Amino acid sequence: MKMVLNPNPMTFIMLILGVSTFILIMLLPAFLELKKPRDAGPRTIMDNIIAIPRLPVIMEKEKLVLDQVLYQKMTEILAVLPNLEA
Amino acid sequence: MIVEILEALFLILTFVMTAYLIRHYVFTLSVLNHTSKRKKAAVTTKKEAYQPPVSILIPAHNEERVIGRILQGMTKLTYPKDKMQVIVIDDASTDDTGETAEGYAKSCNYIKVIHRNHGEGGKGKASALNAGLKQAEGEIIFCFDADYYPQRDIIEKLVAEFTDPKVGAVQGRVTVLNEPQNVVTRLVALERIGGYRVDQQARDSLGLISQFGGTVGGFRRGLLVSLDGWDGSILAEDTDLTFRVYLAGYKIRYINEAECYEEAVENWSDYWKQRYRWAKGHMQCAFRHSLKVLKSSNLRLREKLDGLLLLNVYFMPVLVLLSWIVGVPLFFFHHPQWFSIFWTLIPISLYSFVGNFAPFFEVGIGAYLDGRTRAYWLIPLLIFTFLYNIPICTKALADLFISKILGKNCNHWDKTVHNGNSYIIN
Repeated sequence: MKMVLNPNPMTFIMLILGVSTFILIMLLPAFLELKKPRDAGPRTIMDNIIAIPRLPVIMEKEKLVLDQVLYQKMTEILAVLPNLEA
Repeated sequence: MIVEILEALFLILTFVMTAYLIRHYVFTLSVLNHTSKRKKAAVTTKKEAYQPPVSILIPAHNEERVIGRILQGMTKLTYPKDKMQVIVIDDASTDDTGETAEGYAKSCNYIKVIHRNHGEGGKGKASALNAGLKQAEGEIIFCFDADYYPQRDIIEKLVAEFTDPKVGAVQGRVTVLNEPQNVVTRLVALERIGGYRVDQQARDSLGLISQFGGTVGGFRRGLLVSLDGWDGSILAEDTDLTFRVYLAGYKIRYINEAECYEEAVENWSDYWKQRYRWAKGHMQCAFRHSLKVLKSSNLRLREKLDGLLLLNVYFMPVLVLLSWIVGVPLFFFHHPQWFSIFWTLIPISLYSFVGNFAPFFEVGIGAYLDGRTRAYWLIPLLIFTFLYNIPICTKALADLFISKILGKNCNHWDKTVHNGNSYIIN
């Protein structure tokens, strides 16, 4: 049995439209999620001990700078405390 | 005559593809079943008292952007530091990898750095790991890639499995760190979810062939030495080692709770390089181990069957291409005589609705079990990675045959570039 192709232009147009619509519907959620991601990913690995906080990687030098800034702020706050008592 | 040959070929291809789709469903259902059982069962703490000396190998070739991160992770591990040795193999790096690692080695006495120059180093991961193995003193040898970042108690979780003398190796779960970066990293993350959360978990639960993934895993030192370590002559040294472990009569356990972050490839070019290496390496393993797996007296029938499917998985995209080439002319020009159109339509429709989507169901279930809310909206896009894998695997197979015919070594190691993009850690 051999299949004979019937070159009807309407059939081709319907076929192309149908396939295009199907692909669009299939991919629409993916495009929506890509445009405005709402997933909470990446998955956060939980330690049994302490959960890893969401902070950027701190290199040693940066950590020192951060510590100094923190120290300065603490000093400022502590300096204000006696004035509050007065 | 040609038509009959094409028909026979098409039937064989359909049979092979059906075998893989059944495998996908069995794995998916097994994981769903396993998870519901685990929820019901009380959580038992593993033999945490078992803390043998361990060595952690970190091969690194030009990894200055990420080496500090993993070493920082190593310092945060909760495993007793007096029982832990971390060996960084600075494999002929031309950047500051060695210097950064040395900085950590100065402040932590359990971190050691091996510097390999251009003469001895730069020959690939297997060669670097073997150099590290020579210096390793631990009973259990772990290896982590430089772009990884481990969970703090990962060693305890992995090492606990070695209380069973039949366990020769363990494998932990890999989670993509830079997932939000772009569409490539998002799709790789989905592939990883399917591959680890479902595939690996199911193989472990069903007592099949759990695969050592080349990183986030460990071996008994004695077994590793007796197997002569990693084989540098094969591109998928991890898969090769997996089958050598099983053929030696040991098992590999997959521990889903032992998790580690990885940095996924960020663009399609790197994706091609990585998958090409995996495909070619896997195919090398298939040629090397398929017959041994069938003949082995150490493997049960189910392990043999799963081993063969695992070894040959990278041939699938090539076979799909072949089935298209064979199927389309057969469909248009020669309908099978032995089926009426009606009876042909039923299996075709069934396969189209259920069969083609089997791997996607697997990923979807993995995302669901991970509690991901919207990640599976991207699943339809995985069709593009599947289509992309067709030329990758076809080229890998063609190159393998050409190199065999010409007798040339085709094991060029295309290193993946890691940029150290962090989204969660520290």
